Amino acid sequence: MSQTFKDPDAGKSPEQLFAERSQRIMDVFQMKQPDRVPIMLGLGYLLAEMGGVTRQELYENPAKTQEIQKKIALEFQPDTVFGLFSYPGPSIALGDQMTKWPGHGLGPNGSFQFAEQEFMKPEDYDAFLDDTADWAIRTYLPRAFSTLKGFSALPPFQMLAFGHYYLTNLPAFAAPHVVEGLKAIDNAIKASLESGAVVMDLIKAMAEIGFPFPVILTGALVEAPFDFMSDTLRGMRGIMLDMHRRPEKLLAAQEKVLRFEVEYAVNLTKSTGSPYSFIPLHRGSDGFMSLPQFEKFYWPQLKSLIVQLVENGITPWCFYEGVWDQRLEYLAELPKGKTGGLFQSSDIFKVKEVVGDTMFIMGGMPNTLLQSGSVEQVRERTKLVCEKVGKGGGFMMTTGVLELEGCDPKLIKAWVDATKEFGVY
Amino acid sequence: MSEELVKAISEMDDEAAINLTKELLGKGTDPMEILGDCRSAMEIVGKRFEQGEYFISELILAGETLSAISELVKPLVKAAASTKKNGKIVIGTVKGDIHDIAKDIVSFMLDVNGFEVKDLGVDVAPETFVETIKSFDPEIVALSGFLTLAHTSMKETVEAIKAAGLRDKVKIMIGGGTIDAQVCDYAKADGWGTDAMTAISLAKQWTGAN
Repeated sequence: MSQTFKDPDAGKSPEQLFAERSQRIMDVFQMKQPDRVPIMLGLGYLLAEMGGVTRQELYENPAKTQEIQKKIALEFQPDTVFGLFSYPGPSIALGDQMTKWPGHGLGPNGSFQFAEQEFMKPEDYDAFLDDTADWAIRTYLPRAFSTLKGFSALPPFQMLAFGHYYLTNLPAFAAPHVVEGLKAIDNAIKASLESGAVVMDLIKAMAEIGFPFPVILTGALVEAPFDFMSDTLRGMRGIMLDMHRRPEKLLAAQEKVLRFEVEYAVNLTKSTGSPYSFIPLHRGSDGFMSLPQFEKFYWPQLKSLIVQLVENGITPWCFYEGVWDQRLEYLAELPKGKTGGLFQSSDIFKVKEVVGDTMFIMGGMPNTLLQSGSVEQVRERTKLVCEKVGKGGGFMMTTGVLELEGCDPKLIKAWVDATKEFGVY
Repeated sequence: MSEELVKAISEMDDEAAINLTKELLGKGTDPMEILGDCRSAMEIVGKRFEQGEYFISELILAGETLSAISELVKPLVKAAASTKKNGKIVIGTVKGDIHDIAKDIVSFMLDVNGFEVKDLGVDVAPETFVETIKSFDPEIVALSGFLTLAHTSMKETVEAIKAAGLRDKVKIMIGGGTIDAQVCDYAKADGWGTDAMTAISLAKQWTGAN
């Protein structure tokens, strides 16, 4: 029983724990069998719930947040842990129209959310295809960020190729709206450096008490080219219509996106040294598109992205959001042992069966069970997942969405303990 | 009835559908007949969605085509009598959550299946549901949500309905990608689902509709 469970990690020094835990999670990423199934906790807004502060305060008082995170980590003793996934500073500085944050567009205890809009209109495809960067700066940014409206009045950026003769255009950058935009960018850069420092400090503080940071969260964030066109550009409604009304343009745009995403990830990997790339997937799951649509608009482009990243020495891992049960066979086409997958609501046992040899797997615990299940149910589920999905290694226990918002601390503790109890190889 | 129009709408040929509508109106066709064709076409779309042949993109495109046709036809219709007979449903995404895709699909499918649907939109407060139950008098309340936070809002909405003394007047369903039996228990709803088809079958079951 969990009450009498003796934590095998008890009494070890932070240095030893750090080394053992790091090894355990690295084994998973390399598709090996560690000494036992590691467990990763993404605390998210659980930090506010257990720390007795608002979600807004989590972002605004990093010292307090760090203190809460350390306390929670020591209480649960997982193998790896992270707190907040992202920070609002740059978005707020720029007047980001596509996100809402606690205290900014939402109450102090609201949940961070994307608010999709059709920032790219159907008639923008030609400009996007012709010169994505110029279109992005002069058309897209003014729509998507309230402080950057003035950029729409700037001369075409292709004119920069005119060298000396371009210099007569510089006064355009002194227009009040443009100056406001440049200042906002300056503030956003500062905010971005600040949150970067907060994260680095947190990683260091957690390491000191024995918890390695989940390294796969570092590296380049890219998207399936279809999602790239959907999430921040056309929006769900727009992209769905594009598949019927302008399929050729959508495919051409994706081809372009694929090219610069690969270049971006490869360059970033070279400069940071992190060999990972995170690809959250949105519209390719069961229910959003049919298999013929998936085969035409989603999978070839995503597969090509993943393969090219792997060829460049990068380990991409995808968040397979929603349910992928009808399309797991496709995932088995990916290069063996070179990628990873976090599965939200797919049948995790079927996932293991179909792609267990292909990629390392994360997931296994439904968030809802940790919200309102019983200790017995949690232990039973954990045991089953450790036995079936943990088999042979290459598996890390997490919740379906990584984070733990709304979960019951008593059940989380039972889950972590049960993973250590049943996950031993 | 114009079989050509029904086919154009249900086969996703939106341009042809709009041109045909203009042609039919030009020939003096009764606007009510055109709306009837739209309904027949949407039934076909709904069936194909149920059978897994059509997906979200087809629902969205058909919806677009329909509203374009309505714009042409509606000014010519004198009084559109309500033909809904299967029951009344109020639907909305619960407080704190602004996801609308799933809710829109369920709303659309309920409408196609003959229910009178009142869609309250997203981020709907429990009080708003309570007020709407009083004024609209639905048999069913459908709560949608995607965020984990929505589970709590669903529970609070059900509690508010109960506190207003209206719990016995309505059946409550909850739905969304993250919903399961556990959440249904937690929120004290009467039924749950993760797809539009479940919403339709629950609604039919609860109202005794076919």
